[in-house]
Amino acid sequence: MSDGEWEAWMAAAQAGDSRAYDRLLRAALPLLRGVARRRIRDPAEAEDAVQDALLTIHRLRDTYDPARPLKPWLIAITERRAIDRLRRSSRRAGRESAIDEFGETLPDPLANQGEAKVAAAELRSAVAALPEAQRTALGLAKLQDLPLAEASARSGMSIGALKVATHRAVKALRKRLGGEE
Amino acid sequence: MRSEDLIGQLTADLTPVRRMAPPGWQALLWLALAAAAIGLCVLAIGLRHDLQARMALPFELGQWLASVATGICAALAAAMLARADRSAAWGLLPLPPLVLWLASLGWGCLADIVRLGPIEGQLETSWGCLRFTLLLGAPLTAALLLLLRHAGPVRPRPVLLLGALASAALCSAGLTLFHHLDAAVMVLLWHSGAALVLLGLVSLFGDRLLMRAPGSG
Repeated sequence: MSDGEWEAWMAAAQAGDSRAYDRLLRAALPLLRGVARRRIRDPAEAEDAVQDALLTIHRLRDTYDPARPLKPWLIAITERRAIDRLRRSSRRAGRESAIDEFGETLPDPLANQGEAKVAAAELRSAVAALPEAQRTALGLAKLQDLPLAEASARSGMSIGALKVATHRAVKALRKRLGGEE
Repeated sequence: MRSEDLIGQLTADLTPVRRMAPPGWQALLWLALAAAAIGLCVLAIGLRHDLQARMALPFELGQWLASVATGICAALAAAMLARADRSAAWGLLPLPPLVLWLASLGWGCLADIVRLGPIEGQLETSWGCLRFTLLLGAPLTAALLLLLRHAGPVRPRPVLLLGALASAALCSAGLTLFHHLDAAVMVLLWHSGAALVLLGLVSLFGDRLLMRAPGSG
Protein backbone atom coordinates (compact mmCIF):
# COMPACT_ATOMS: atom_id res chain seq x y z
CA MET A 1 0.00 0.00 0.00
CA SER A 2 1.28 3.43 -0.83
CA ASP A 3 1.49 6.11 1.82
CA GLY A 4 -1.78 7.78 2.64
CA GLU A 5 -3.83 5.54 0.36
CA TRP A 6 -5.95 4.08 3.15
CA GLU A 7 -6.45 7.52 4.67
CA ALA A 8 -7.59 8.87 1.29
CA TRP A 9 -10.00 5.93 0.88
CA MET A 10 -11.43 6.52 4.34
CA ALA A 11 -11.85 10.24 3.65
CA ALA A 12 -13.68 9.33 0.42
CA ALA A 13 -15.82 6.84 2.37
CA GLN A 14 -16.80 9.61 4.79
CA ALA A 15 -17.99 11.56 1.77
CA GLY A 16 -20.09 8.57 0.70
CA ASP A 17 -17.80 6.83 -1.85
CA SER A 18 -18.79 3.21 -1.37
CA ARG A 19 -16.18 1.85 -3.79
CA ALA A 20 -13.34 3.46 -1.86
CA TYR A 21 -14.90 2.16 1.35
CA ASP A 22 -15.15 -1.36 -0.04
CA ARG A 23 -11.56 -1.27 -1.24
CA LEU A 24 -10.39 0.00 2.14
CA LEU A 25 -12.23 -2.55 4.26
CA ARG A 26 -11.09 -5.45 2.06
CA ALA A 27 -7.51 -4.20 2.13
CA ALA A 28 -7.65 -3.75 5.90
CA LEU A 29 -9.27 -7.13 6.60
CA PRO A 30 -5.97 -9.06 6.95
CA LEU A 31 -4.74 -6.41 9.39
CA LEU A 32 -7.91 -6.68 11.49
CA ARG A 33 -7.70 -10.48 11.43
CA GLY A 34 -4.09 -10.34 12.54
CA VAL A 35 -4.95 -8.10 15.47
CA ALA A 36 -7.91 -10.25 16.53
CA ARG A 37 -5.99 -13.52 16.25
CA ARG A 38 -3.12 -12.21 18.33
CA ARG A 39 -5.65 -11.79 21.16
CA ILE A 40 -8.04 -14.70 20.57
CA ARG A 41 -6.89 -18.24 19.92
CA ASP A 42 -10.22 -19.65 18.71
CA PRO A 43 -10.40 -18.74 14.98
CA ALA A 44 -14.22 -18.52 14.89
CA GLU A 45 -14.30 -16.27 17.94
CA ALA A 46 -11.52 -14.13 16.44
CA GLU A 47 -13.51 -13.78 13.22
CA ASP A 48 -16.54 -12.67 15.24
CA ALA A 49 -14.34 -10.01 16.87
CA VAL A 50 -13.26 -8.89 13.38
CA GLN A 51 -16.92 -8.47 12.41
CA ASP A 52 -17.64 -6.56 15.63
CA ALA A 53 -14.70 -4.33 14.71
CA LEU A 54 -16.06 -3.80 11.19
CA LEU A 55 -19.42 -2.73 12.63
CA THR A 56 -17.75 -0.35 15.08
CA ILE A 57 -15.55 1.11 12.35
CA HIS A 58 -18.67 1.66 10.30
CA ARG A 59 -20.50 3.31 13.18
CA LEU A 60 -17.60 5.54 14.19
CA ARG A 61 -16.50 6.46 10.68
CA ASP A 62 -17.39 10.11 11.29
CA THR A 63 -14.95 10.29 14.22
CA TYR A 64 -11.91 9.51 12.07
CA ASP A 65 -9.70 12.50 11.30
CA PRO A 66 -8.07 12.01 7.85
CA ALA A 67 -5.12 14.14 8.92
CA ARG A 68 -4.10 11.30 11.24
CA PRO A 69 -2.88 7.84 10.19
CA LEU A 70 -5.71 5.35 9.79
CA LYS A 71 -3.96 2.16 10.88
CA PRO A 72 -3.68 2.99 14.59
CA TRP A 73 -7.36 3.92 14.55
CA LEU A 74 -8.34 0.60 12.97
CA ILE A 75 -6.05 -1.36 15.27
CA ALA A 76 -7.33 0.38 18.42
CA ILE A 77 -10.95 -0.38 17.52
CA THR A 78 -10.19 -4.01 16.68
CA GLU A 79 -8.22 -4.47 19.91
CA ARG A 80 -11.17 -3.12 21.86
CA ARG A 81 -13.66 -5.46 20.20
CA ALA A 82 -11.32 -8.43 20.65
CA ILE A 83 -10.95 -7.68 24.36
CA ASP A 84 -14.73 -7.35 24.65
CA ARG A 85 -15.13 -10.76 23.01
CA LEU A 86 -12.55 -12.33 25.31
CA ARG A 87 -14.30 -10.91 28.37
CA ARG A 88 -17.67 -12.11 27.20
CA SER A 89 -16.42 -15.59 26.39
CA SER A 90 -14.62 -15.92 29.71
CA ARG A 91 -17.83 -14.90 31.48
CA ARG A 92 -19.72 -17.46 29.42
CA ALA A 93 -17.14 -20.12 30.16
CA GLY A 94 -17.84 -19.64 33.85
CA ARG A 95 -21.55 -20.33 33.36
CA GLU A 96 -21.55 -23.07 30.76
CA SER A 97 -19.81 -26.36 30.17
CA ALA A 98 -18.98 -27.82 26.81
CA ILE A 99 -21.67 -30.07 25.33
CA ASP A 100 -19.07 -32.70 24.31
CA GLU A 101 -18.87 -33.95 27.85
CA PHE A 102 -22.43 -35.19 27.52
CA GLY A 103 -22.02 -36.88 24.12
CA GLU A 104 -23.84 -39.96 25.41
CA THR A 105 -27.42 -38.87 25.81
CA LEU A 106 -28.91 -42.01 27.32
CA PRO A 107 -27.35 -44.67 29.53
CA ASP A 108 -28.68 -47.62 27.42
CA PRO A 109 -25.87 -48.54 24.99
CA LEU A 110 -28.38 -49.32 22.21
CA ALA A 111 -29.94 -45.89 22.55
CA ASN A 112 -26.87 -44.14 21.24
CA GLN A 113 -26.53 -45.99 17.96
CA GLY A 114 -28.63 -43.55 16.00
CA GLU A 115 -25.71 -41.84 14.40
CA ALA A 116 -24.02 -45.10 13.51
CA LYS A 117 -27.22 -46.31 11.88
CA VAL A 118 -27.59 -43.13 9.89
CA ALA A 119 -23.96 -43.39 8.78
CA ALA A 120 -24.46 -46.99 7.72
CA ALA A 121 -27.54 -46.07 5.70
CA GLU A 122 -25.64 -43.24 4.04
CA LEU A 123 -22.81 -45.60 3.17
CA ARG A 124 -25.19 -48.17 1.70
CA SER A 125 -26.91 -45.63 -0.49
CA ALA A 126 -23.55 -44.22 -1.56
CA VAL A 127 -22.36 -47.68 -2.56
CA ALA A 128 -25.62 -48.31 -4.41
CA ALA A 129 -25.07 -45.15 -6.43
CA LEU A 130 -21.68 -46.33 -7.75
CA PRO A 131 -21.41 -47.59 -11.34
CA GLU A 132 -21.82 -51.36 -11.66
CA ALA A 133 -18.14 -52.11 -12.35
CA GLN A 134 -16.92 -50.04 -9.41
CA ARG A 135 -19.46 -51.61 -7.06
CA THR A 136 -18.41 -55.14 -8.08
CA ALA A 137 -14.74 -54.31 -7.77
CA LEU A 138 -15.22 -52.74 -4.36
CA GLY A 139 -17.29 -55.67 -3.14
CA LEU A 140 -14.82 -58.30 -4.20
CA ALA A 141 -11.52 -56.60 -3.50
CA LYS A 142 -12.33 -54.65 -0.36
CA LEU A 143 -15.39 -56.07 1.37
CA GLN A 144 -14.78 -59.77 0.70
CA ASP A 145 -11.04 -59.12 0.74
CA LEU A 146 -10.32 -61.59 -2.09
CA PRO A 147 -6.87 -61.71 -3.70
CA LEU A 148 -6.84 -59.68 -6.92
CA ALA A 149 -6.37 -62.81 -9.09
CA GLU A 150 -9.49 -64.46 -7.67
CA ALA A 151 -11.49 -61.25 -7.84
CA SER A 152 -10.42 -60.97 -11.47
CA ALA A 153 -11.51 -64.54 -12.18
CA ARG A 154 -14.91 -64.05 -10.56
CA SER A 155 -15.73 -60.71 -12.08
CA GLY A 156 -14.19 -61.26 -15.49
CA MET A 157 -12.33 -57.91 -15.15
CA SER A 158 -8.58 -57.66 -15.66
CA ILE A 159 -6.44 -57.02 -12.56
CA GLY A 160 -5.58 -53.55 -13.83
CA ALA A 161 -9.24 -52.70 -14.43
CA LEU A 162 -10.11 -53.99 -10.94
CA LYS A 163 -7.45 -51.80 -9.35
CA VAL A 164 -8.63 -48.71 -11.21
CA ALA A 165 -12.32 -49.40 -10.45
CA THR A 166 -11.63 -49.99 -6.74
CA HIS A 167 -9.60 -46.83 -6.50
CA ARG A 168 -12.30 -44.81 -8.24
CA ALA A 169 -15.02 -46.31 -6.06
CA VAL A 170 -13.19 -45.39 -2.84
CA LYS A 171 -12.54 -41.92 -4.13
CA ALA A 172 -16.20 -41.47 -5.12
CA LEU A 173 -17.40 -42.68 -1.71
CA ARG A 174 -15.01 -40.42 0.11
CA LYS A 175 -16.21 -37.47 -1.90
CA ARG A 176 -19.85 -38.29 -1.38
CA LEU A 177 -19.53 -38.88 2.36
CA GLY A 178 -17.65 -35.66 2.89
CA GLY A 179 -14.20 -37.10 3.53
CA GLU A 180 -12.74 -34.86 0.89
CA GLU A 181 -13.65 -31.39 -0.34
CA MET B 1 -21.77 -14.69 7.94
CA ARG B 2 -18.36 -14.23 6.38
CA SER B 3 -16.54 -11.00 7.07
CA GLU B 4 -16.28 -10.38 3.34
CA ASP B 5 -20.09 -10.51 3.07
CA LEU B 6 -20.41 -8.14 6.00
CA ILE B 7 -18.13 -5.69 4.21
CA GLY B 8 -20.36 -6.00 1.17
CA GLN B 9 -23.39 -5.10 3.26
CA LEU B 10 -21.68 -2.21 5.04
CA THR B 11 -20.46 -0.68 1.80
CA ALA B 12 -23.71 -1.25 -0.06
CA ASP B 13 -25.72 1.10 2.14
CA LEU B 14 -22.98 3.63 2.79
CA THR B 15 -24.23 7.14 3.47
CA PRO B 16 -22.04 10.25 3.61
CA VAL B 17 -21.22 11.40 7.14
CA ARG B 18 -20.24 14.80 8.46
CA ARG B 19 -16.78 14.56 9.96
CA MET B 20 -16.85 15.12 13.71
CA ALA B 21 -15.18 18.27 15.06
CA PRO B 22 -11.68 17.70 16.48
CA PRO B 23 -11.67 16.73 20.17
CA GLY B 24 -10.07 20.03 21.18
CA TRP B 25 -13.01 21.89 19.67
CA GLN B 26 -15.50 19.64 21.39
CA ALA B 27 -13.84 20.29 24.74
CA LEU B 28 -13.84 24.02 24.06
CA LEU B 29 -17.51 23.95 23.10
CA TRP B 30 -18.43 22.20 26.31
CA LEU B 31 -16.23 24.48 28.41
CA ALA B 32 -18.00 27.48 26.88
CA LEU B 33 -21.35 25.89 27.74
CA ALA B 34 -20.22 25.19 31.31
CA ALA B 35 -18.84 28.72 31.71
CA ALA B 36 -22.11 30.16 30.46
CA ALA B 37 -24.19 28.01 32.82
CA ILE B 38 -22.02 28.83 35.81
CA GLY B 39 -21.95 32.49 34.78
CA LEU B 40 -25.76 32.54 34.73
CA CYS B 41 -25.86 31.07 38.21
CA VAL B 42 -23.40 33.66 39.47
CA LEU B 43 -25.48 36.39 37.86
CA ALA B 44 -28.61 35.06 39.48
CA ILE B 45 -27.12 34.61 42.93
CA GLY B 46 -24.57 37.42 42.95
CA LEU B 47 -20.86 37.30 43.73
CA ARG B 48 -19.88 36.74 47.33
CA HIS B 49 -19.18 39.92 49.21
CA ASP B 50 -15.59 39.09 50.08
CA LEU B 51 -14.56 37.71 46.67
CA GLN B 52 -12.11 40.49 45.85
CA ALA B 53 -10.33 40.17 49.16
CA ARG B 54 -10.21 36.40 48.70
CA MET B 55 -8.82 36.46 45.20
CA ALA B 56 -6.17 38.92 46.30
CA LEU B 57 -4.67 36.14 48.41
CA PRO B 58 -2.27 34.18 46.21
CA PHE B 59 -3.13 30.94 48.01
CA GLU B 60 -6.85 31.27 47.44
CA LEU B 61 -6.37 32.39 43.86
CA GLY B 62 -4.03 29.47 43.22
CA GLN B 63 -6.57 27.07 44.67
CA TRP B 64 -9.32 28.47 42.50
CA LEU B 65 -7.14 28.36 39.39
CA ALA B 66 -6.23 24.75 40.18
CA SER B 67 -9.89 23.77 40.27
CA VAL B 68 -10.54 25.56 36.98
CA ALA B 69 -7.47 23.89 35.44
CA THR B 70 -8.69 20.50 36.67
CA GLY B 71 -12.01 21.09 34.93
CA ILE B 72 -10.40 22.21 31.67
CA CYS B 73 -7.85 19.38 31.60
CA ALA B 74 -10.44 16.74 32.47
CA ALA B 75 -12.76 17.96 29.71
CA LEU B 76 -9.94 17.91 27.16
CA ALA B 77 -8.78 14.48 28.33
CA ALA B 78 -12.32 13.11 28.06
CA ALA B 79 -12.67 14.43 24.52
CA MET B 80 -9.29 12.93 23.55
CA LEU B 81 -9.96 9.53 25.11
CA ALA B 82 -13.31 9.38 23.32
CA ARG B 83 -11.32 8.91 20.06
CA ALA B 84 -10.07 5.42 19.43
CA ASP B 85 -6.59 6.35 18.25
CA ARG B 86 -5.61 8.88 20.93
CA SER B 87 -3.12 7.83 23.54
CA ALA B 88 -4.45 6.63 26.89
CA ALA B 89 -1.88 8.96 28.47
CA TRP B 90 -4.34 11.82 27.92
CA GLY B 91 -6.14 10.44 30.94
CA LEU B 92 -3.25 11.61 33.12
CA LEU B 93 -3.56 15.24 32.02
CA PRO B 94 -5.93 16.37 34.80
CA LEU B 95 -3.90 14.66 37.51
CA PRO B 96 -1.36 17.44 38.23
CA PRO B 97 -3.97 20.22 38.68
CA LEU B 98 -6.20 17.79 40.59
CA VAL B 99 -3.40 16.91 42.99
CA LEU B 100 -2.54 20.60 43.35
CA TRP B 101 -6.17 21.49 44.02
CA LEU B 102 -6.75 18.77 46.61
CA ALA B 103 -3.39 19.43 48.24
CA SER B 104 -4.18 23.13 48.53
CA LEU B 105 -7.51 22.28 50.16
CA GLY B 106 -5.74 19.98 52.58
CA TRP B 107 -3.11 22.59 53.30
CA GLY B 108 -5.89 25.13 53.84
CA CYS B 109 -7.42 22.82 56.44
CA LEU B 110 -4.13 22.64 58.34
CA ALA B 111 -3.73 26.40 58.17
CA ASP B 112 -7.27 26.82 59.48
CA ILE B 113 -6.58 24.55 62.42
CA VAL B 114 -3.70 26.80 63.34
CA ARG B 115 -5.79 29.93 62.74
CA LEU B 116 -9.19 28.90 64.05
CA GLY B 117 -8.49 26.04 66.43
CA PRO B 118 -9.78 22.47 66.41
CA ILE B 119 -11.49 21.29 63.28
CA GLU B 120 -14.75 20.37 65.05
CA GLY B 121 -15.46 24.04 65.63
CA GLN B 122 -15.34 24.75 61.91
CA LEU B 123 -17.85 22.17 60.78
CA GLU B 124 -21.26 23.19 59.68
CA THR B 125 -23.65 21.75 57.15
CA SER B 126 -23.83 23.23 53.72
CA TRP B 127 -26.38 21.40 51.69
CA GLY B 128 -26.27 24.30 49.27
CA CYS B 129 -22.89 23.18 47.93
CA LEU B 130 -24.15 19.69 47.32
CA ARG B 131 -27.35 20.91 45.73
CA PHE B 132 -25.54 23.30 43.43
CA THR B 133 -23.01 20.73 42.26
CA LEU B 134 -25.70 18.15 41.61
CA LEU B 135 -28.21 20.48 39.99
CA LEU B 136 -25.64 22.03 37.68
CA GLY B 137 -23.04 19.27 37.56
CA ALA B 138 -25.38 16.49 36.51
CA PRO B 139 -26.74 18.25 33.41
CA LEU B 140 -23.24 19.47 32.50
CA THR B 141 -21.91 15.92 32.77
CA ALA B 142 -24.82 14.64 30.72
CA ALA B 143 -24.14 17.29 28.07
CA LEU B 144 -20.48 16.30 27.85
CA LEU B 145 -21.30 12.61 27.61
CA LEU B 146 -23.85 13.32 24.91
CA LEU B 147 -21.22 15.29 23.01
CA LEU B 148 -18.75 12.42 23.47
CA ARG B 149 -21.17 9.54 23.04
CA HIS B 150 -18.94 8.08 20.34
CA ALA B 151 -16.72 7.01 23.24
CA GLY B 152 -19.26 4.28 24.02
CA PRO B 153 -17.74 1.57 21.82
CA VAL B 154 -14.18 2.72 22.52
CA ARG B 155 -13.37 3.74 26.11
CA PRO B 156 -16.64 4.40 27.94
CA ARG B 157 -15.54 4.30 31.56
CA PRO B 158 -12.53 6.64 31.59
CA VAL B 159 -14.56 9.15 29.57
CA LEU B 160 -17.42 8.89 32.07
CA LEU B 161 -15.16 9.51 35.03
CA LEU B 162 -13.27 12.36 33.38
CA GLY B 163 -16.55 13.95 32.33
CA ALA B 164 -17.85 13.87 35.89
CA LEU B 165 -14.53 15.20 37.19
CA ALA B 166 -14.60 18.09 34.71
CA SER B 167 -18.13 19.05 35.74
CA ALA B 168 -17.46 18.72 39.45
CA ALA B 169 -14.25 20.77 39.30
CA LEU B 170 -15.88 23.57 37.35
CA CYS B 171 -18.93 23.56 39.61
CA SER B 172 -16.64 23.84 42.60
CA ALA B 173 -14.83 26.75 40.95
CA GLY B 174 -18.21 28.33 40.28
CA LEU B 175 -19.33 27.80 43.86
CA THR B 176 -16.27 29.60 45.14
CA LEU B 177 -17.41 32.71 43.26
CA PHE B 178 -20.68 33.19 45.12
CA HIS B 179 -20.82 30.78 47.99
CA HIS B 180 -19.39 31.93 51.25
CA LEU B 181 -17.49 29.21 53.09
CA ASP B 182 -14.94 30.37 55.58
CA ALA B 183 -13.13 27.21 56.50
CA ALA B 184 -11.13 25.20 53.99
CA VAL B 185 -12.27 21.99 55.59
CA MET B 186 -15.82 22.93 54.64
CA VAL B 187 -14.77 23.54 51.07
CA LEU B 188 -12.92 20.26 51.01
CA LEU B 189 -15.79 18.37 52.57
CA TRP B 190 -18.66 19.83 50.61
CA HIS B 191 -17.00 20.50 47.30
CA SER B 192 -15.23 17.18 47.05
CA GLY B 193 -18.18 15.45 48.72
CA ALA B 194 -20.44 16.82 46.01
CA ALA B 195 -17.90 15.80 43.38
CA LEU B 196 -17.86 12.26 44.78
CA VAL B 197 -21.65 12.07 44.79
CA LEU B 198 -21.62 13.24 41.17
CA LEU B 199 -19.02 10.62 40.27
CA GLY B 200 -21.16 7.99 41.96
CA LEU B 201 -24.26 9.07 40.08
CA VAL B 202 -22.38 9.02 36.80
CA SER B 203 -20.97 5.57 37.36
CA LEU B 204 -24.50 4.39 38.19
CA PHE B 205 -26.35 5.97 35.29
CA GLY B 206 -23.68 7.14 32.88
CA ASP B 207 -23.09 3.67 31.50
CA ARG B 208 -26.57 3.58 30.10
CA LEU B 209 -26.23 7.06 28.63
CA LEU B 210 -22.96 6.30 26.93
CA MET B 211 -23.60 2.70 25.95
CA ARG B 212 -27.03 3.23 24.50
CA ALA B 213 -26.60 6.46 22.62
CA PRO B 214 -24.68 5.16 19.59
CA GLY B 215 -26.87 2.05 19.30
CA SER B 216 -25.50 -1.43 19.40
CA GLY B 217 -25.53 -2.51 15.77
